[in-house]
Amino acid sequence: MIARADRIRRALGARGLLPALGAAEASRGRADDATIQPAALIEDAALASHPVGEAQPWSGPLGFLDGTQRSELIGYAGASPIFVAEIAAAVRERNGRVLTTAVAERKLVAVGRPAALAAAGSALEGCELLASADDEPPHPVRDQHCAERAIERARGALEVAVGARYRERSDAWLIVDGALSDNPGWAADVRAVGIAKSHAALPFEGEALERYLRLPAAHRTSIFAPRSRSVAPVRAWALRLWPREGKDLLYGLVRVEVAPANGTPEMADRLSRWLLAERAPVSTPDPRWDRLLYGIHSVEAYLRASVPGVTRR
Amino acid sequence: MTHPEPAPATIGRVVATELKPSTPHQFHFWTARESPVGIGAIVRVDAPGRTVFGIVTDAAAYSDLQTPMHAVLGADGDPAAVATEPSERPEVRLFLASVLRQMPEEPLQPVPLGTVQLASDADVVLALRMETFAVGERATGIPVGVYAAGGHASPVYLDCDFLLGPEAAHLNISGVSGLATKTSAVEFLLSSIFQTFPAHKGSVAAVCFNVKGPDLCFLDQGTSVPDGDRALYDRMGLRPEPFSSVRYFAPHKPDGVNLNTLRTNEALSANTEPLVWGLREVLDFAEVVMNRDDVDAKADAFIGFLAERIVGREYQDEMLRGKPFFVQSFADLEEFFRAIFDFMEALGKGGEVWRTHHLATIRKVRNRLGNIGTRSRGLVTDDGTANDLPWGSFTDRSVQVIDVAGLDPLAQDLVFARVVSKLREHLERRDLGVDHVVVFVDELNKYAPADGPETYVRKMLLDLSERGRYLGLVLFSAQQFRSQVQRRVVGNAGTSVYGRMDMDELATPGYATLSPATRIKLGTLPKGELMLRHPHFTQPIFVRFPRPAVMTGREGVERFPPAADLGFADAVARQLRSLDRRIGTDHVRALVEGRRDDDVRRALSATRRARPDDPAAYFAAALGRRVAPEAPAQRRGVTPLRRPAPDDPYAF
Repeated sequence: MIARADRIRRALGARGLLPALGAAEASRGRADDATIQPAALIEDAALASHPVGEAQPWSGPLGFLDGTQRSELIGYAGASPIFVAEIAAAVRERNGRVLTTAVAERKLVAVGRPAALAAAGSALEGCELLASADDEPPHPVRDQHCAERAIERARGALEVAVGARYRERSDAWLIVDGALSDNPGWAADVRAVGIAKSHAALPFEGEALERYLRLPAAHRTSIFAPRSRSVAPVRAWALRLWPREGKDLLYGLVRVEVAPANGTPEMADRLSRWLLAERAPVSTPDPRWDRLLYGIHSVEAYLRASVPGVTRR
Repeated sequence: MTHPEPAPATIGRVVATELKPSTPHQFHFWTARESPVGIGAIVRVDAPGRTVFGIVTDAAAYSDLQTPMHAVLGADGDPAAVATEPSERPEVRLFLASVLRQMPEEPLQPVPLGTVQLASDADVVLALRMETFAVGERATGIPVGVYAAGGHASPVYLDCDFLLGPEAAHLNISGVSGLATKTSAVEFLLSSIFQTFPAHKGSVAAVCFNVKGPDLCFLDQGTSVPDGDRALYDRMGLRPEPFSSVRYFAPHKPDGVNLNTLRTNEALSANTEPLVWGLREVLDFAEVVMNRDDVDAKADAFIGFLAERIVGREYQDEMLRGKPFFVQSFADLEEFFRAIFDFMEALGKGGEVWRTHHLATIRKVRNRLGNIGTRSRGLVTDDGTANDLPWGSFTDRSVQVIDVAGLDPLAQDLVFARVVSKLREHLERRDLGVDHVVVFVDELNKYAPADGPETYVRKMLLDLSERGRYLGLVLFSAQQFRSQVQRRVVGNAGTSVYGRMDMDELATPGYATLSPATRIKLGTLPKGELMLRHPHFTQPIFVRFPRPAVMTGREGVERFPPAADLGFADAVARQLRSLDRRIGTDHVRALVEGRRDDDVRRALSATRRARPDDPAAYFAAALGRRVAPEAPAQRRGVTPLRRPAPDDPYAF
């Protein structure tokens, strides 16, 4: 429950709008379409697996960046839904094994068609207004999907802002939850590493995909250049953190993204060894603990604790 | 109502969940890992319009780990690898506190989600409600120790109205032996009472029973007090000094002249005197030495007859003998009994009842009373003279120590019963000399056991614990195991003190109200720390107390080694020297030479009692004129017969 949602609902009612109660679909997380988006190999002629060696601890300070969001349907202006979302992002920095919050930011945003937001008026005081497209007639379900995307973009933007603030004060390595390619700034940051846990968009097909998914533990794939949703060019490889034998093909598999300058085999091996060391401590009880680095888990736990009810991971 | 001062630095915050909610009587709070909060710490919670004081009673710490298996998994089964994990798991330090006080007290509400601070000195005063009795012109606070936490050291006071009466009274202390808990705590508290008992409450004295070794034998001897303890004295506004007015009483050994105590060093003889009772003193407490079966109406009636008609009075019975009886001693009493038995034997058949008392009853009473003389030899004298506590002239802030450590248990019971009864009698009549008397009894489990037969002493202790406070008669008692003491006796103690406890004892139901963490703390308390329960404190409080400024028994025995038992004359000389140091042994030897021991004891007793200016002269006078031995006259005998001629074989 968003803390101020009820007050906003009462205010909407006072202005003649229809208050509503319900969690938005966006609360279930970002919707990724399952696709194959072929990537270009940078290393090796065919996709291969490379042992990365023993895990090595990351030296020096290390930042972890993640964001969260939670949204609620709070009312209707006619047939147009209005959503309110709490979005948050933070960087937790590790120094000497201890994680502390370095940068954190939270926002309350209201999303709806421009006319609906205008009708709500002062009821949405304190919320940042995000107008969704109104080129089609109002449709509650379609408008909800539009709102979800708007909230995700807002959260992404907040993560970028928080990352930028961290970068202003530190040149330490920064591990970002998700793809670097979403943001040109990160994609060019030679001290940034993106860890994508989602495999909805896969970079290969056929035999290459099979090799990709059957990657042994503590191995990485050949370096490749993803083409999916690429706003900015990055280099990537898959890394198996935990043995998958007896489990799912995706178990313990992450996609690592770095700036093109870091796309060398030596750097891929070194970063992979460092990431292997980040398997411990494990991120339980999160069900994704096989792919979720503890530092990222720590950011989520922090944001969940400070923004009650946040569900997006 | 006094309002709390502004809060100091925040060290925690109250947290409440559906599973662990705040209530009006307890709350949870979390702190940073390095906080100085521990079990027993007093904290203050501030929220708008309400301040709550609490004491930490339990604590928990945990991380975000869901099951131990995940730790094993993350470390690949190697416990050493956990230390090399790049990130440290966050750890919560969650404390459970019990509410000591809420301000305002009405309406009583759950503890708010406020900030938590360590209590300051002023907070401790408020938390323990000490502002009602420990400050002001007519304060009644008695310092009992210092509450210490997080760099704070706040004096803690007991309310003397609840310690020495009349509101509540008595103190009981439990703790394992040998950790300087029980005896030291009582010595310190008595010193504190003597220094701070308010004048408007009257006068106070103490009677202590030394029941084992030299524990209480050196209360008048000072000792060095370490700087740390001296600071505690300063913090409480007390002086580290020994008791200034102490008198020691100890029975004799069976020889009747050497004292049965470890305090026999001649340097200590000035205030060490014998405790000697005669028949009169003992007879009223004959019940003490009788077992349950003995105490019937017949025996009771006959003892009453002896007390009222025989002992200390002239009694004439022509049937028994021509001259009157004047029974003053056990010897006289035995003579009286002998006369009865002779008379009854002379009557022959039908001679079974004398003055309505059956012969069997008379024999039983005679045996039991005779038993006192046997088992209490040294305490009970046969010569009728007594040396007793200064009944009626107790002085303010004085201590009377009665050393019964060397006595037979029956004799200990007798001493205990008579002393407490006499205290009660005098306090009832308001002629003891003081308004309040603290009676300290160690090993209470021996005198008032939880089970076993009902004894006179146990009944008397129960009566003392239930009614003594109205008289100013206060029981300070100690034992190792509280669970082994009659519940009503310890239950009537308004103030309870606990030192380090045995874990088995802590597992008994009497400690069920304490949290597991508090019990663990009690089981590991260091020397000099105590847990207190007092009527003003809604929860038990932990305090430190300084070591008493008196010699321990061990120190005292090393510094003042007990004198070896002396011969009769030398022992008499030593006792006389306690009255006048100039009296020489040779002089006393010459005086007692050829005297009967009983006569010498009687003279010595009279001298001690009179405390004359010239003890030697008084003693000599009391011995009386020496009766010169008469040389038997040479018998003339019978004139021998004429010796017959040696050569006359027929001569006679």
